[in-house]
Amino acid sequence: MSDLELSMTTEQTNRNNSFSSEWLWRAVLPIALVALLLGFAAVDRSVLSPANLLNIAQQTSYLALFAMAQTVVILTRGFDLALGPAVSMVSVGTALAMAGATAAGHDPSTVLLAGLGAGFGLGIACGLFNGVVIALLGVSPFVATLGSYNIAIGVATTLSAGRPVQGVPKLFSQLFYSGSIFGIPAAIVITLAIGLVLHLMLGRTVFGRSLYIIGTNPRAATVAGLPVKRILIGTYVLCSTLAALGAIMMTARTGSGEPNLGGSLSLQAIAGAVVGGTSLAGGRGGVGTAVLGALFVTILSNGMNLTRIDGYIQMVVLGAIVIIGVLLDRLRLERRR
Amino acid sequence: MSTVVTAGMPRRSTHLGRSIVGRIGFLPALLVALIVGMSAIDPQFYGLINILNILRNASLLAIVACGQALVIVAGGFDLSVGAVVALASVVTAKTMAATAAAFPGNTALVIASGVAAGIGCGLVVGLVNGFCVAKLKVSGFVVTLGTMSATAGVGLMITSGIPVYGMPDSFVKGFGRAQLFGLPTAVYAALAVIAVMMFVQRRTLFGRYVYAIGGNVDAAVVSGVSIQRHIVGTYAVSSVLAALTGILLTAQVGSGQASFGGDRMMLQSIAAAVIGGVSLRGGVGRVEIVAISALFLTILGNALNLLHVDSRLQPVFLGIIMVAAVALDELSRRSKARV
Repeated sequence: MSDLELSMTTEQTNRNNSFSSEWLWRAVLPIALVALLLGFAAVDRSVLSPANLLNIAQQTSYLALFAMAQTVVILTRGFDLALGPAVSMVSVGTALAMAGATAAGHDPSTVLLAGLGAGFGLGIACGLFNGVVIALLGVSPFVATLGSYNIAIGVATTLSAGRPVQGVPKLFSQLFYSGSIFGIPAAIVITLAIGLVLHLMLGRTVFGRSLYIIGTNPRAATVAGLPVKRILIGTYVLCSTLAALGAIMMTARTGSGEPNLGGSLSLQAIAGAVVGGTSLAGGRGGVGTAVLGALFVTILSNGMNLTRIDGYIQMVVLGAIVIIGVLLDRLRLERRR
Repeated sequence: MSTVVTAGMPRRSTHLGRSIVGRIGFLPALLVALIVGMSAIDPQFYGLINILNILRNASLLAIVACGQALVIVAGGFDLSVGAVVALASVVTAKTMAATAAAFPGNTALVIASGVAAGIGCGLVVGLVNGFCVAKLKVSGFVVTLGTMSATAGVGLMITSGIPVYGMPDSFVKGFGRAQLFGLPTAVYAALAVIAVMMFVQRRTLFGRYVYAIGGNVDAAVVSGVSIQRHIVGTYAVSSVLAALTGILLTAQVGSGQASFGGDRMMLQSIAAAVIGGVSLRGGVGRVEIVAISALFLTILGNALNLLHVDSRLQPVFLGIIMVAAVALDELSRRSKARV
């Protein structure tokens, strides 16, 4: 065997090695997911029952949507602290618009349109505010979205007077919650569809690819002639629009507009994205990481609920998981280098 | 000749004005305007009770914000301060109650053990934060997000969410609710913290290194600054100060509660730091301005209350003012850079 051949084969095995270890690292989270499910199932059989699995899928679909929304902005090195309050605001706005339109005697489809218009309108307004303040005024995402966090909380509680808003029509709840296609609940169908579209958008469109460039190297993006400011505004609008959709789905589930619906969703969504492997340093992540992270967090809390682990201990576990998740991701990156 | 003079004069005066604004910032001006305006509108505002109320609340916020500012100057973030306030409060009260049951009558020991336990748990959280950020290189945002959840969970777990009583009277009435020369004890605590932190920032190696790390990590490394130790230090200081606030709050209210602090305190401390001119990019910021900014935020909330602005609408004002303050700062820096 000649030297050349030898070096080639070692190179090949090297590559194979790094390839398989890369795959191993990638498989850590899915393996952990399955292990988690089996572990909980060992304590309580009902964890693996079809009803509970469907339940997990349905719960995941909300968090996954919010994690996708966060992922879009995290890709550009930002994040959206206002996501949770925006969800509350959209929920209240949607319910109020529909209740108002119903009281005015409009037909069901007009009522539905009024609700969706109000909900998405509020969401887009929130995203525009964030985007303009961040991209045009140069305020850091943290401060800008902390500002809109407060504003959205104020608007949500003022509009609703701090009480749940009743009068959500049946058609709305059917469309976004209780309805199903081929036996798959509406929430799962919607999230799958949005996830597919977003995946294609991030991977195949100029807008999507430029998010990765902005996150990896903002200066290079500017030098390359990308309209960075416009893209950033678009990113925050996209994030808030996805959050608004999630808010509408959650409103359909509860059947009323809730001023506290968002609660700690901002941080939960960031945690979901980050646990799945989205990098807060920007440029790395996607629909897959968001969904995986959301699935992990949901299975963990679902399993802990079913095995009757104290709610306060759950907070401790979730906190530890977030840190460990990011630590593992960092180790993986270092190995690759 | 005369035209030159008239043309030169206004230019110099605006330059002077700009340099004064640049040195002090517009925050004190805003603060004075707010105080004068409110005094003119509502005489209740300068009533003794209201002033003491403002000072007490501003002191608590200022202490937390000083620690937060130090972490941000070093280029980090501490989301866990609100949860540490709650945990320290609960642990202090629990320890005092337990020690009082074991050694009845020994008030000094009871108070010392309670305060030590409260500060100690703050220190532990700070060290965990610092270790994860400095040694494990996980981003400060994620680490403190995690410890925030965990710390809040522990606080709720050991109390089941119920307030903890059983602290000695001398701690509550003799310290927490006491007044020295007409001012609440919390004010003196805050002044002491601010003075120490000013000294630390300006005169100690630690303080200068924190600026260096936040300004340019690579340059700091090359200059031989041991980054890890100093970053751990900033998180430890931040958590200990948050624990101190928790203890002060506990002494004032008379019970340990897991609902103290929370997200609100955490967000307000960051808002105070940022409005007080601490740059989230690191390397810039002074604690005395942050303390003024904490006073400003407290007075603003108080003013909105006195003006009967719906409490639900108040966050809207806070949000707008925060964004506006930072945007103005950013724009003025840009125009300065252009000149």
